[in-house]
Amino acid sequence: MPVGPFGIDPAIWAPLRLVIAVLLVVGLVFNGALAQIYLERKIQAVIQDRLGPLHTGPWGLLQTFADAIKLLGKEDIRARLTDKWFFLAAPSIVFSPMLASYVVIPFAPGIVGADLNVGLLYLTTLGSMTVLGVVIAGWASNNKYSLIGGLRSAGQLISYEVPQIISLVTVVLVVGTLSMVGIAESQPGWQLNFLVLPLAFVTYFIAGLAETNRAPFDLPEAESELVAGFLTEYSGMRWAIFFLAEYGEVTVVSSIVTTLWFGAWHGPFVEVFPLLGVLWFTLKTYFFVLVFMWIRATLPRLRIDQLMSLCWKVLIPLTLTNLVVTATLLLVFPNTVVPVAIANWILLAAFVLVLPYVQRRRLVALRERLRTAA
Amino acid sequence: MVVPLGAFIAVSAVLFFIGTAGVLVRRNAVVILMSVELMLNATNLALVAFSRRFSSIDERGSVFVVFIFVVAAAEVAVGLAIVLSAYRNKPTVDVDEIRQLRG
Amino acid sequence: MFDLIEPALFALLTIAIVAAGAGVVLANRITTSALLMAFTFLNIAGMFVLLGAETVAMFQVLIYVGAITVLILYGVMFTPQSPRPYGLFFQTQKYWAALFVVPIAIFVALVAFSFRDSATVGAKGGDLLPLATSVFRDFAFPFEVASVLLLAAMVGAIVLVKRDED
Repeated sequence: MPVGPFGIDPAIWAPLRLVIAVLLVVGLVFNGALAQIYLERKIQAVIQDRLGPLHTGPWGLLQTFADAIKLLGKEDIRARLTDKWFFLAAPSIVFSPMLASYVVIPFAPGIVGADLNVGLLYLTTLGSMTVLGVVIAGWASNNKYSLIGGLRSAGQLISYEVPQIISLVTVVLVVGTLSMVGIAESQPGWQLNFLVLPLAFVTYFIAGLAETNRAPFDLPEAESELVAGFLTEYSGMRWAIFFLAEYGEVTVVSSIVTTLWFGAWHGPFVEVFPLLGVLWFTLKTYFFVLVFMWIRATLPRLRIDQLMSLCWKVLIPLTLTNLVVTATLLLVFPNTVVPVAIANWILLAAFVLVLPYVQRRRLVALRERLRTAA
Repeated sequence: MVVPLGAFIAVSAVLFFIGTAGVLVRRNAVVILMSVELMLNATNLALVAFSRRFSSIDERGSVFVVFIFVVAAAEVAVGLAIVLSAYRNKPTVDVDEIRQLRG
Repeated sequence: MFDLIEPALFALLTIAIVAAGAGVVLANRITTSALLMAFTFLNIAGMFVLLGAETVAMFQVLIYVGAITVLILYGVMFTPQSPRPYGLFFQTQKYWAALFVVPIAIFVALVAFSFRDSATVGAKGGDLLPLATSVFRDFAFPFEVASVLLLAAMVGAIVLVKRDED
């Protein structure tokens, strides 16, 4: 008689595992969002040389609960809408793909929802379903500013999918498998993919910033532009669902970065205690979440045309070059990744050093033109 | 119990006929485009079903499906561009009313 | 007991596909048609997963739900029209139509259900590796032609909707 894990009968273990996984993910996502809301305010405060929430609970820890209670109690305003069902469905369409992304993320050796052998493709697919929700939200609000915000956001999301997917493909070329568990296992010890493909990491991080509508790409939801973009007509709990979706998506992007470039659950003593992998994974993921917040507090917002030109004129040629160079080097030197690593670091240095130089020359030329034209 | 191949083909046929009915009956150009997409999806389903259940060589049916994805995406883009251009000319998407080239 | 999951899922997906497809054609409001079309695409992806072609299912959702539905929604948004009921149910030809459709439907059903699984097909595992091998090795030239086609479609669509700003 086959014995399942912990000695439970396998017929009971299958649905029980499902229930545990759902509870874990729901708990993690909501608690993670609560933690991130608090962290965001505190970190922005520290960077901006102020104090942040202080009064509600010790060190302002209960601020998020106060926010949640306020949001729950808000009146559910529904103006005259273009389409009631679209308006109501849009937050769910934005939220569900984020929740479904947690299925393939490997938290520890053996602890993964489902080891799909197309795990990475599954994650990009879910990322592309968010666009639908945003377009529907912007259009159903019967509000010009929402519509423009929604279309701009959709354009931004669709554009930045391209460098995102090409960066992921570059990593897959080196690793050789689309399965997230396989990618996590291909980086034992100190052989992190970050040392081999840093440029892909940088471009994926930038594209991930744009994909999650996070600063400096948060034009669609910024409060000084277009009222609040496609979120204008959403108040109370519906707005909270959009924001949960955004923080959840930030966590998903950080998890993907951790898995692909920093060896998901690898860390000291993880061979001895497999469950320790969860701790290393969480630490690494939240490190990147903090980097997201750090960037939000530091960089100014990009205009929509600057955003688009960054994607199409800078990121896409860069990622395509990276892909072609990596693929060529992998074909020429089949068994080693050292040439790929060297080429990637050279390209990254070129990107970091050359781009500001080029931009400065263009700015000087523009100023010359304006001065001679005036 | 395994679902028989014929069942998948029957579903594909039903969807294809629904799409054809949509193309023939509806007057709105965008709905006609949507029905064409339904027909393409029905074809995809039939191809993948045959590829996975009928052939034992390789995934050629699925390869064809990938190319159908490409063609469908291109077709919707260009088709909608044409519909929007026509709308700009005369603000209607009713295919019965766009008849300036008619003899 | 776990044996019946696959036919149950298949029945559920079939009902969803047929109902949503009929909804696309019959719905009065075009926005309902667009969302039901996206729902049909999702269910067809489910069918692909049931058949074991999960890579194709992911591509289906990525391309159809992620991109084509958004395109159609843009088309719907920019061509607003008041929904007027169309005369679908009051035509005089519906009895003749039923007379022709029923034999054809029976014939098609007979043909469809006569296909049998090949005898040499076993559990084949995922379809990622054979699909990738086929696309990039046997069908590499059509793949390149498809990319040129996409480029031409992109340029063509942009040119078609460009306003002549004089």
